[in-house]
Amino acid sequence: MNLLVFTKRVPATQEEEVRIIDDGKGIDLAKIPFKVNDWDNYSVEEAVRIAEKTEGTVTAISMGDRESDEVLRRAIAMGAHNGSLLQLTEPLHDPSQRAAIACNFIKKENIPFDLIFTGVQSEDDQFAAMGGILAAKLDLPYVSMVIGIDEIEKEYVIVRRELEGGLQEKIRVSLPAILAIQSGINEPRYVSIMGVRKASKVERKVYEAEVYNDAPRLIEVERWVYPPKKGGARMLAGELDAVCKDLLGILKEKGVYQ
Amino acid sequence: MSYALIVAEVRKGIFEERNLDSAGFASLLQKETVLLIPEGPYEIPPITERVLKVPVEEATFLNPLFMSTLIQKVTELKGKPDAVIFTSSSSGTELASYSAGKLGLPLITDLSAYDKERAVFFKSYYSDKIFGEFKVKGEGQFIATVRSGSFKEFAVTKIPATEAMEAVAAGGERTFLGYVEEEKGEIDITKAEFLLSVGRGIGSKDEIADYEELAGILRAVLSGSRPVIDKMWLPKVRQVGTSGKTVKPKVYLAMGISGAFQHIAGMKDSECIIAVNKDPEAPIFQYAHFGIVSDVHKVRDKLKDIVRG
Repeated sequence: MNLLVFTKRVPATQEEEVRIIDDGKGIDLAKIPFKVNDWDNYSVEEAVRIAEKTEGTVTAISMGDRESDEVLRRAIAMGAHNGSLLQLTEPLHDPSQRAAIACNFIKKENIPFDLIFTGVQSEDDQFAAMGGILAAKLDLPYVSMVIGIDEIEKEYVIVRRELEGGLQEKIRVSLPAILAIQSGINEPRYVSIMGVRKASKVERKVYEAEVYNDAPRLIEVERWVYPPKKGGARMLAGELDAVCKDLLGILKEKGVYQ
Repeated sequence: MSYALIVAEVRKGIFEERNLDSAGFASLLQKETVLLIPEGPYEIPPITERVLKVPVEEATFLNPLFMSTLIQKVTELKGKPDAVIFTSSSSGTELASYSAGKLGLPLITDLSAYDKERAVFFKSYYSDKIFGEFKVKGEGQFIATVRSGSFKEFAVTKIPATEAMEAVAAGGERTFLGYVEEEKGEIDITKAEFLLSVGRGIGSKDEIADYEELAGILRAVLSGSRPVIDKMWLPKVRQVGTSGKTVKPKVYLAMGISGAFQHIAGMKDSECIIAVNKDPEAPIFQYAHFGIVSDVHKVRDKLKDIVRG
């Protein structure tokens, strides 16, 4: 079985301050470390596991700047057989353009596939749209929020997708298809620095993404702003001992701790 | 006809409350509003001017292959909708992206706010640390998914005019086989009065035992945010958030949780929220009643020391 898996390099902003610059025209990411998008890590792991079971091939594809080679090397260290970088000269904020590039790349380069994996969303733009638009453009069935792959046959897969409140639905999908993988579907394997270094020896192809972009821009970012502040918390400040005593006082006042 | 098409989300025969957010956003567009819904015994509140009922089961209705065909059919009958609005849920997001791809329309997902004077859409980036102000290009038509809790107001109160649609062929390449219920665990976190919830910020699975100990001495129940459950540091039944449990304890003590929207949606109605995080800009401080900016482990250890005397 041939599997394609999209993997994206994103800024790790979880515990970092993200600053808007140039009067809202830009975001300063210079001091922020980058990493593989969390959901894509699960996708790569799932693709590698299926390839191991079916004696298949995993091709990792990344769309981004030259530095995105880093996530391809990581995917190869996890078990992907090869990698392709669709190199962008500037960030693309419209998911329809990203999907168009991916679609045209797969078609024009005759990349064989039975299953395409994307992460449910990427941590930076949170669009959660790449898999769906790509599936529509390639005229393939699509399932997102896939939290379990229960059966894999030549013609179809049976998957579970996550809904709200702990509910899941079971779905049968004909192949070829696109699945957007939810986090928690598996436990991604550990990748050592040595493993990533070794992966550097596997050839990764680089393509100019713009060559495959035939889609007009459908949405445009006017500017970046900070979200409006809500009421906000009353901050407990001071020495740690005093802060923790304040916290215990609140618990007592609320009647949950004596 | 100039109208906004709201795609209803229904699950197990229930009209989901988040449809009200879609209607709230639609009312800002100041166009006629039409609710698209599968036939069924749903109690539909009067939130739109018209209702279009489709003679299919809910699972077929929520199949993206079917939905994109259905919207095309509605377009043939009623003309192009100015907006097609979905909820920002597991299914809404799936349906919206596929439909946008099929119909070639601009897509804004997880819409948090809208400036009707400037026709600007606000969308979250970087876990709510930044918002992008977006404009759609072309003739102004678009598809959106609406974040739950973001749009509350709508003006329609009269009983809507209801119309039945003819059947449309369903996409057979994707078949619904049934729902799977989550297994019941030994602990029901929705019943706890005091939840001590841990997030990615605690660092590793090795730390869980110490937080469990703290929960024990404070007589709290230990729960967690999605990353903690994904990494299998805690079982799924302990997950707070949209894909886990919605909780409303007297006190929700969030330690090392930054406050992804999906988590906030599951705990925001707690009577008292106390957040501990080393990042002063963590979104959870916007929703908490009390906040502590500190290393969570230091707070944990100090609390233990004080309680033990």
